[in-house]
Amino acid sequence: MNTIRLANIRRSLGFGALLLVVLLAVNLYLNPARFHPAAWGTLIGLAAPLIGAALASTPVILSGRGGIDISVGPLMGFVNAIIIQTLFLKGGVESPFVIVPVALLVGAGIGAINGFLTTIVRIQPIVATLGTYLVLTGITLTIVPAPIGPAPQWIKAFAGPLSIIPLAVIFLAWWLIRRLPYYDLLMAIGSDDRAAYTAGVDVTRVRFAAYVITGVFAGMAGLMLTALIGSADPNIGQTYTLISIAAVALGGVSLAGGRGGLIGAAIGAIDIFLLQSVLTAFNVSTYVLQVAYGAILVAAVVLTAVQERANRRERNA
Amino acid sequence: MVSAITLHARNLVLRPGGQPLNQTIRPGEIVGLAGLDGHGQERFLEVLAGLHTPHAGEVRLERGGQQTVITSFRRAVDNGITYLPRDRRATGIFPTQSVLDNFAISTVGKDARFGILSFRNRRKRYEGFRERLSINAPRPDAPITTLSGGNQQKVLLARALALEPDMLLLNDPTRGVDVATRHVLYDVFRGLAREGMGLVVLSSEIEEILVLCNRVLVFRDFELAAEMSGDAMTTETVIAAMFGRAA
Amino acid sequence: MIKLRTWLASTNGRIFGAFLIAAALHLAGTLMIPGYSSPFAIRAMLVIASLLAVASIGQTLVVILGGIDLSIPFIIGFANVVAAQLYGDGWNFIVVCLLVSLMALAIGAFNGFVSRRLDIHPLIVTLGVGMVVQGCVLLWTAGFPSGSAPAAVSAFVSIGGSAGPLPVPWLVPSLVVLATLIILIMARSPYGRRLYALGSNPGAAPLALIDPVRMWTITFALSAFFAAVAGVLLLGFTGSAYGDVGQPYLFQTIAAVVVGGAALVGGRGNYLGTIAGVLVLTEINTLLIGLGFQPAAVQAALGLIIVALVSLYGRERHVRSTI
Repeated sequence: MNTIRLANIRRSLGFGALLLVVLLAVNLYLNPARFHPAAWGTLIGLAAPLIGAALASTPVILSGRGGIDISVGPLMGFVNAIIIQTLFLKGGVESPFVIVPVALLVGAGIGAINGFLTTIVRIQPIVATLGTYLVLTGITLTIVPAPIGPAPQWIKAFAGPLSIIPLAVIFLAWWLIRRLPYYDLLMAIGSDDRAAYTAGVDVTRVRFAAYVITGVFAGMAGLMLTALIGSADPNIGQTYTLISIAAVALGGVSLAGGRGGLIGAAIGAIDIFLLQSVLTAFNVSTYVLQVAYGAILVAAVVLTAVQERANRRERNA
Repeated sequence: MVSAITLHARNLVLRPGGQPLNQTIRPGEIVGLAGLDGHGQERFLEVLAGLHTPHAGEVRLERGGQQTVITSFRRAVDNGITYLPRDRRATGIFPTQSVLDNFAISTVGKDARFGILSFRNRRKRYEGFRERLSINAPRPDAPITTLSGGNQQKVLLARALALEPDMLLLNDPTRGVDVATRHVLYDVFRGLAREGMGLVVLSSEIEEILVLCNRVLVFRDFELAAEMSGDAMTTETVIAAMFGRAA
Repeated sequence: MIKLRTWLASTNGRIFGAFLIAAALHLAGTLMIPGYSSPFAIRAMLVIASLLAVASIGQTLVVILGGIDLSIPFIIGFANVVAAQLYGDGWNFIVVCLLVSLMALAIGAFNGFVSRRLDIHPLIVTLGVGMVVQGCVLLWTAGFPSGSAPAAVSAFVSIGGSAGPLPVPWLVPSLVVLATLIILIMARSPYGRRLYALGSNPGAAPLALIDPVRMWTITFALSAFFAAVAGVLLLGFTGSAYGDVGQPYLFQTIAAVVVGGAALVGGRGNYLGTIAGVLVLTEINTLLIGLGFQPAAVQAALGLIIVALVSLYGRERHVRSTI
């Protein structure tokens, strides 16, 4: 990897990466047993839905022009409800060869709807995905009014020893996408969609695809969530919405688009997970956790911004 | 009423390692700035306006014997220097706002009575400039985007003049403006100069500089390459200076 | 015909359309549900709408500026709990209101200042600050908020109350006065003109002598202030403190502002539109509940309707027309 690429990555990761190192050290000190290699499976399984939500939120944010998807959380909950209630409990379907494709297809379908609303009908992304958020939450509550279980046996393994696999699949998929010309087009429209348009890029199609990718990844995250909770919970999806955006911002992905990547989003999510871990070790109440999330988020983006300004100033001097 | 101010650029260095330049802009002068694109003439204008800090040197404003150093845009405006930007789309007009709003925005306090704006007062002020600059805007309450480029530029000029400046710094004021409007603008500029206002006009068209300006400063590589006035100011000499060759 | 279309697409057209839709919804409700237009039902709707309208003042201002304020629900909760707690501890209520207002102004000012000065997206700053505020309040009350509202506040917002000869609580006419004031300030004050200009073209604003940092600081401070007002009013409405009382207002304020014709990119919209949006949302909510929809279904239907409305008249321009 050449030095410029390395410097770019380092710059975009900013404090997220630094925080990761710090939090990891603190965690290892406080709770070495939790981080024992034997327990890595469970640990990753615990963090997976959050990481998955953050990863899923990233492609549309990269596409720029206010691109965002606040329906990622509810979509995870919706997939969770469909898998457990509709397929497994009511339909008796247990095979992973049905459940996994269904989850991904549902994700892609919702992503397509979001894409349609934002790129073809051209509703502002936050409003469009707010609409989807409300619809999905409502439908999920209708399908699963109260938490219900259990989940198929095989899926629970993905919260344990096999938990790295769904995440690895997402990273593999993104790695492949990065090799396609599509990735350059995505980053181009994220930076300056007008310039990209005049250069002949089909901005609408690229953005639409970003929403579909986000949907598919969210579907995958929904599987991870199901693996973790081993049941269907109608209320849990919503909690991922704001946290995943916080994770993305923490990881150096610019909300204006065109900058950052999935690694940054993952780092942001891991930061939040490790923070949770530290505070739980201190037996701190969830309220302190809340304050800490918010404070770290603000501190991280502020420090990153200050660093950016300092960098720019020394470049222009 | 225009009061006489003189602008002194002292030992101005526009880029690291550049030659310092010294210039004085006097009341009633129209000074042109020329050069190939990106050779420092815009930077010089921005420094005069307080929008950019020079690498070294300073800009002083002299009024009635008092001297003030121009350190910021706000300081420049407060002391009677007004700047008209180049790209009206990016840094000039407020596209969702009406013609009247666009005109009055810099001087919005002038129409305020007990915190509420008097629209009648604003209209009155606007009408004065409309006549003077021949602004063609049949519906002043409509968004400014309904006007042609030339008329938009006139509204922006009116906005600048509403500040009652003593010196006007213009960054390519006739860019994207039709020929008829250009001549109106030239007449206005000359009229302002006659009233005692100093004008510095950056232009990308040499003919315009020759027609309008008393003297021209040609920039090359962020340094002052040549200064010409009177008979020495011809298309050939200016172009030669722009390319770094003596005529 | 073209003139009609351009007018409909303009802000005023959108606002008119929104009021029309609210009226149509009310008519539909009256026809479909017995008692929909009963005096009590109308009073209840007016009160609920007024509360949302107060909470949405800030969002309107912030959106016109080109930003967004996600801290509103958290500040509503903050004001709600702190006011109740302190009043319950015996503090003078006027002092309590003053304190809560000052704190809200400070929080909002921080939001605006940090967002603009450091060029950080306000979505993140307000979200983070909101979470901190909520967490601090929860810590302070150890999760069990207590206290109550003074009788005056409860009477102010009570559905059964009356303002002199009018059969509505004082909240409603007060809101009308407040709304008129806000609309006047936005349309005819230097602050208002600068607000629109800054939202319209942030790049041109400094050259037009508008100080962006100052405007953002003031505007976000105002947003937090009105959120706090809503929080205190809600205390009178429900009678007891509840930290999450503001949660529904997170997306409802955004929806109200957008349905009312504002553009999230800034420079467009006004408070009259927000009020129309508030009425539309309140009508939809009441109508659906009246028709027997479960809360879950109401939520889903709300989402669909917001999307439908915005796609009618809230569409953005294609990239090609922005060049």
